[in-house]
Amino acid sequence: MIVSRPVALAVAVTSYFLILGATPRAHHSFGAEYDSNQPVTVTGVVTKIEWTNPHSFIYLDVADSGGAKVNWKLEGYPPNVLYRTGWKRDVTMKPGDTVTVFAWRARLGGPLAHSREVTFADGSKLFFGPPAGTGDGGAAPAVKVP
Amino acid sequence: MRATFVVAFVVAASSIATLAQAPAGVPRGADGKPDLAGVWQGSSVRPGKWEDANNGLGVGGTGKDPSAPPSLGSQQVITEPAPYQPWAAARVLESYNKRGIDDPAALCLPPGVPRLVLVSLFPIEIVQTPKRIVFMYEYMNVFRSIPIGEAHPPDIAPTYLGDSVARWEGNTLVVDVIGFNDKTWLTGTGTFHSEDLHLVERYTRVSKDRIDFEATITDPKVLTKPWTIRTTMMLREGTRVQEYVCAENNQDPAHLELLLKEGAGFRR
Repeated sequence: MIVSRPVALAVAVTSYFLILGATPRAHHSFGAEYDSNQPVTVTGVVTKIEWTNPHSFIYLDVADSGGAKVNWKLEGYPPNVLYRTGWKRDVTMKPGDTVTVFAWRARLGGPLAHSREVTFADGSKLFFGPPAGTGDGGAAPAVKVP
Repeated sequence: MRATFVVAFVVAASSIATLAQAPAGVPRGADGKPDLAGVWQGSSVRPGKWEDANNGLGVGGTGKDPSAPPSLGSQQVITEPAPYQPWAAARVLESYNKRGIDDPAALCLPPGVPRLVLVSLFPIEIVQTPKRIVFMYEYMNVFRSIPIGEAHPPDIAPTYLGDSVARWEGNTLVVDVIGFNDKTWLTGTGTFHSEDLHLVERYTRVSKDRIDFEATITDPKVLTKPWTIRTTMMLREGTRVQEYVCAENNQDPAHLELLLKEGAGFRR
């Protein structure tokens, strides 16, 4: 199931840029690779989890509108950050689990997205990735624009 | 009258002695200097354990509503506009307009200084002895082992993190850094520098929980004047600095290369 979120979310996401703009937070530009104007929520069955640096990935089988399975790839924090965020490797989420992931789609298109929040079957939630636009330079450049 | 003078002198002398001491609650090393040892988080103003201090930001946390804005007080980097020369400002702006797609760190290369201090997502461990201070950064798993009270060696070759030497000015540890290559960013998107970069960092532990950090950046080849950045580092008791092997599964450069090739509208 794929659901786009309302405009209100895009507004909230923009507020992240304004506040965190000057603070470098991750190792590369999620904002270049993923589009904060394309939020997406996908629900499906976990097929694989890569607990790797510099970023982890969730692979999720999601049924498209015609009922066919599409394997989504969702990028997120590295394992050390996930640990501090409350994740336990091979315990918190395993292949076979059904989860819902809120994410932003890749500018290149396809079933690729930058994850933010995972909702588990029991309703509990954990962040798997950073806010939208992380690493893209924020609301203003470091220099004055003439 | 003489007794009054003596009392006044003693009071004045003790006031001076008090000024020279670290504030209450600041641990001291064997040499009586403030001890900066501990695990710290840069660019934060919130005291407490990592999990509590980072709720709602997505750094730590409880997985609350992802669309909720972060608290204003949760992070800060105080800086003036970067005083780049016009040609250099244009280059910084180009990186910004490309949303940082040219970030050297995306290739798993070491981030620059003071960027390493300002990245709040990963902790920094400090180990200190009277003659040496060691900064171990979880981000990229790089370290700086810095002598206290020594001069720079005469034969410095350019490196990512430069050559650092430290000295005490009262309660402030002053770290002088030269010998940089020109392959890193100083802080935010596109903030490049030349090999002439001279950095002076000042670390002042003002309480048990907080180090005030200031970096003065001098680089006459690209800047019009010294550029000062200030932030705070907060003690994160119970946090471990962990492994971070960036080259393990770095799929992003391939995505970014494709993005550049296809011009998929990522520019501002």
